[in-house]
Amino acid sequence: MIGFLSLFHREIARFLKVLVQTIVTPAVSSALYLLVFGVSLGSTVQSQNGVDYLAFLIPGLMMMGLLNNAFQNSSSSIVNSKYTGELEDLRVVPLSHHQIIIAMGLAAMVRGLVVALVTFVVGSVFYAIVHGGFIGLHSVFELIYFIVTGGLVFGMLGLSAAFYAKSFDQLSAVSAFILLPLTYLGGVFISIQNLSPFWQKVSTLNPLLYFINGLRHAILGVSDIPIGQSMLISALGLVMFYVLSLFALKRGNFHRW
Amino acid sequence: MTAPLEVSNVKKTYTSPKLGAVDAVKGVSFEIRPGEIYGLLGPNGAGKTTLISMITTLENPSEGDIKVFGESTQTNSAFTKKQIGVVPQEIVTQGFFNLVEILQFHSGYYGVWNNKERIDYLLKRLGLWEHKHKLVKQLSGGMKRRLMIAKALVHKPKLLLLDEPTAGVDLELRTSLWEFVRDLQKEGISILLTTHYLQEAEALCERVGIISKGSLVFNGETQGIIRKLTRRTVEMDLKSIPNWTLPEGVQLLGQRENRVTFSTPSEMSVGALLAGLSIPSDLLLDLKTREGSLEEAFLNVVQKGASL
Ligand SMILES: Nc1ncnc2c1ncn2[C@@H]1O[C@H](COP(=O)(O)OP(=O)(O)OP(=O)(O)O)[C@@H](O)[C@H]1O
Ligand SMILES: [Mg+2]
Repeated sequence: MIGFLSLFHREIARFLKVLVQTIVTPAVSSALYLLVFGVSLGSTVQSQNGVDYLAFLIPGLMMMGLLNNAFQNSSSSIVNSKYTGELEDLRVVPLSHHQIIIAMGLAAMVRGLVVALVTFVVGSVFYAIVHGGFIGLHSVFELIYFIVTGGLVFGMLGLSAAFYAKSFDQLSAVSAFILLPLTYLGGVFISIQNLSPFWQKVSTLNPLLYFINGLRHAILGVSDIPIGQSMLISALGLVMFYVLSLFALKRGNFHRW
Repeated sequence: MTAPLEVSNVKKTYTSPKLGAVDAVKGVSFEIRPGEIYGLLGPNGAGKTTLISMITTLENPSEGDIKVFGESTQTNSAFTKKQIGVVPQEIVTQGFFNLVEILQFHSGYYGVWNNKERIDYLLKRLGLWEHKHKLVKQLSGGMKRRLMIAKALVHKPKLLLLDEPTAGVDLELRTSLWEFVRDLQKEGISILLTTHYLQEAEALCERVGIISKGSLVFNGETQGIIRKLTRRTVEMDLKSIPNWTLPEGVQLLGQRENRVTFSTPSEMSVGALLAGLSIPSDLLLDLKTREGSLEEAFLNVVQKGASL
C-alpha cells in the first residue's frame, strides 16, 4: 500500500512541478474554446439536444480536457522515464504491475479532473454572465462515474501506448492522428444528431462519444446515447485497457531509449 | 543459513531483429556466502551487467535459476526485490525532483513511509548533505554515483549489488567508499561488486569470479587465484655468483653484475629457492620478493587463457 501511495504521490508531484504545462495551458485552451465558440458564436449556433450551445459545449470540453490530460500524464511520465532510466527503477522495486497501473491511472485521472474542473468553473462563469444563473448538475453519481472511468481509461491508454512506443515520434503520432481526430469527432462540438444516418452509425464506433455524452448527461441531462449504454461501454473500456496495460507491463521492456 | 545469492546455470540470449541472437551469459553458476564481498570481474562485454540485471529481474534469464535468500527471483520476486539494493552501472537521472524527494519516493516504493532518519544518515555519510536540494543534473558525476548508492541503501537491503560503483569517482573518495563498503559488510550485508579496478577487488573481496565472454572461468578465493595464476619475483644481491642449476619451475629473469632476478612459483618458499640454487647464506647481501597481484592473475586468465 505504501509503495502504491508513493508512486501515486510521485506522479502527482511530477505534474505539479510543471504546472504551467500540465494544468494552466490546457485550462487556458479550454477557456478560449468556451469564449470563442460558446460565448461569441453561441447565440448564432442552433441549440444542440435542445440545450443552449454554451451549456452544450461545457461538458464536452471538460471531457476533452480530462481525456487528453489523463493520456498525456501517464504517457509523458513513462516516456520521460525511458530517457532517464527511472523506468528501470520501476521494474527493480517491489511494486506489482497492478499497483503501477492503478497508481499511474489514478494520478492521470487527477490531472484530467483538475483540468475538467477548471473548465467547468470557467464555463459556469461565462454561462452566468451570458444567461444569468447556474448551468446546473443533473447527476452527481454519473459525473463521478464518467470522470473516474474516462480518466482511468485514458491514463491506462497513455501508459500502454508509451510502453509500446519505440520512439517519441510514435507516441506523438498516436496523440495527433488517433486521439485528436476522435476527440473532435466524438461529439464535443456538435450533437451527432446533426449528421446523416450513415455518419451517425460511424460515429457510434468512436469510443470517445460515450464518455463525452455520458458526462453531458451527468451535467445537463441530455445525450445522444442512452445513458445506460454509455455507462456500459465506459466500464468495458476500463476492463479492456486494464488488461492492455497489464500486457504492456508484462511484455514491454523497461530499458532506456 | 541460506545463501544470499545462488546463481545456477544461468544463460541469457538477447535476440533482436538487427543483431540476431547474442549469447551474453552462457551457463554461469556461483553463490555468495552470508556477509561476504564477492567480486565479479571481467572485460567489457563479458556479461556482468547482464547477470546483475537478471538478479534484479530487469531481464529474465533464458535458462537457469537465481535464488535470493532461498527464493527464486522468477517465482517470488516480491520477496527477492525487497532483499536487494542495486547500484546500476548507468546513472539514473531524474529531471523533476531533488535528492531528498528522490530518496523519499524510493523508500516509499520499498514500503518505508517515513524514512527521514535513514535518508539523512545516507546523505551525510555519502557527502551529499550540502547538495540535498539539488536536482540530479546539478550534481557532478561522482556525486551522481553516490546518489545511486544512497538510493540502493534506503530500504536497508540484505544483498547489495554494485555495478562499477567507483567508476568516475576520484581517488580520495574511492578509498572512503571502500571503507563504507567494509562498514556495510560489518552490518551483515552481503555484497556483489563488479569493477575494472583490480586493486579494488583485491582489497575488498574475499572471493572473486572472473567472467569472460559470458562464461565464468574462475570462481574462488582471491588469494587462491593470485597464488595459482601468478608467480613470485625474487631479487637477490650476491657477493659473487656461484654455479647453479635452476630448480624445477624457476626461471632466471635477469642478471646485472651481482644482482639476479628469478621468477618462482608462488608456493615455493624463499628457503627452498636458496636451497635449490645452493646459495650459501653468507653469499647473500640482500633479498627482495614481490608477490603477484590480482591484476596479473586476471590478465593471465583473460588474455592468455590460462586455466586452473
Ligand atoms: N539489450 C541488449 N541487447 C542485445 N545485446 C546486449 C544487450 N545488453 C547487452 N548486450 C550484449 O551482451 C553482452 C554482455 O553485456 P554486459 O553489459 O552484460 O557486459 P559487461 O560485462 O557489463 O560489460 P562492461 O564492463 O562494459 O559493463 C555484450 O556483448 C553486449 O553487447
Ligand atoms: Mg557492465
